[in-house]
Amino acid sequence: MNEVRLDFLKELANIGTGHATTALSQMLGGRLFQLVVPDAQMLPFREAADYMGGLEHTVVGIFVVISGDVAGHMACVYPLNSAYALIRLLTGEETPEIDELGRSALQELGNIMVTSFLNALSKMTDLLLAPSVPGLAVDMAGAVWESILAGAEVAGEVTVIRTRFSAEGEAIEGHIIFLPNEEDFGKIARRCGLEGL
Amino acid sequence: MSEIFVNMGEISSAKDHGILTTVGLGSCVGVTLYDDRAKVGVMGHIFLPRSRPNDQGAPPGKYADTGIPAMIAEAIRLGASKIRLQAKLAGGANLFPNLNMKSLSIGQQNVEAVKELLSKHGIPIVGQDVAGNHGRKMRFFVENGLVSVTAIGREPVEI
Repeated sequence: MNEVRLDFLKELANIGTGHATTALSQMLGGRLFQLVVPDAQMLPFREAADYMGGLEHTVVGIFVVISGDVAGHMACVYPLNSAYALIRLLTGEETPEIDELGRSALQELGNIMVTSFLNALSKMTDLLLAPSVPGLAVDMAGAVWESILAGAEVAGEVTVIRTRFSAEGEAIEGHIIFLPNEEDFGKIARRCGLEGL
Repeated sequence: MSEIFVNMGEISSAKDHGILTTVGLGSCVGVTLYDDRAKVGVMGHIFLPRSRPNDQGAPPGKYADTGIPAMIAEAIRLGASKIRLQAKLAGGANLFPNLNMKSLSIGQQNVEAVKELLSKHGIPIVGQDVAGNHGRKMRFFVENGLVSVTAIGREPVEI
C-alpha cells in the first residue's frame, strides 16, 4: 500500500470519525469531545491482533456488515475501561460488569458511530454505504480482532484508526477499522478524484 | 519451562518439553499435533479454511488447506511418525452470532476444514473444545501432550 492510499484512508477516517463524534456528543448532551486528530496506522496482518496492547485483555468489539454501492465491513473496538466510561455516560449508571443494559447501550453507541461515519462518506461520494445491525462481543482482544479480520476476510494489511475522546474529564479510547471491499475502495477513491488507488 | 506464543497464521513446534500457547482464539482454530513416543508437538493457529490466489506470500499456517500439511511436515522433521500423530482442536467460535454473515460461520467453516484435512491424512482427533460464542486461550504441554483451554468467566477445560 502506498503513501497516497494511506493518506486518503486517513482523510476518510478523519471525516468519518469527526461526524461520528459530533453525533455521539449530541446524544450525550454535548459532553463528548474529540481530543486529537485520529491516527491511522497500516498494520501487517500478524500485528493487527497485538495492536490493542495485550491479546488477553478484555475489549468490547462492535462489528457491522456494509452493503449498498460499497460492500465491506466496519468495526469499533474499545478497551474495557473506555467501554465502562461510555456506559456510565449513556445510562448514568455505574455497573460492575457489562450487563444487558450495558450491552444494549454499547450496541446503540456502535450503531450511531458507524451510521454517522458511513453517512459522512456517503454524502461525500454520493455512494450508498448502509450498515447492518451491529454485532457485539465482549471478549479477549485477540479473539475479537481475529474474528473481525476473518469475518472481513482481510488477507494482507489492515488500516486501524485510533481515536481519543474526552467526556467530563474521562479519557476514552477506541479503534475503528473500515474495510471496504477492494474494488469498492477504488470506487470511493475515484469519486473523490483519485485514480488508481 | 519455555513458552512459545503462536500468533495468527503461525506454526510452532517443540520437542520433549515446553509450552505452545495461542491466546485469543475467536473464529480461528488452534490445532495441536502430538506424537507421544517421540515427544514432538506442533501447534498451528488457523485463520481461514482455504488459501486464496490473491494472498501468495501468506505463511502456510494461515489457511487450513496449507497449514495442516505444513504442520505434519514439521512434526516429521522433528522426528515424529505420521501414524502416531494425534490432534486436538480449540476455537472456531462465532463471536458475532447476530450478524449471520453466512449460513455457516467462519469459525464453523474453519473447524470443518481442519477436520476434513486431518481425516484425509488419517490423523485422529482425540480432544476438542470448539464452537460457541466465546474466545479461548489454548496451552499445549509438550512433555505429556495435555492441552488446557481457558476462557473469560469459564472453568478451564482439559482436552
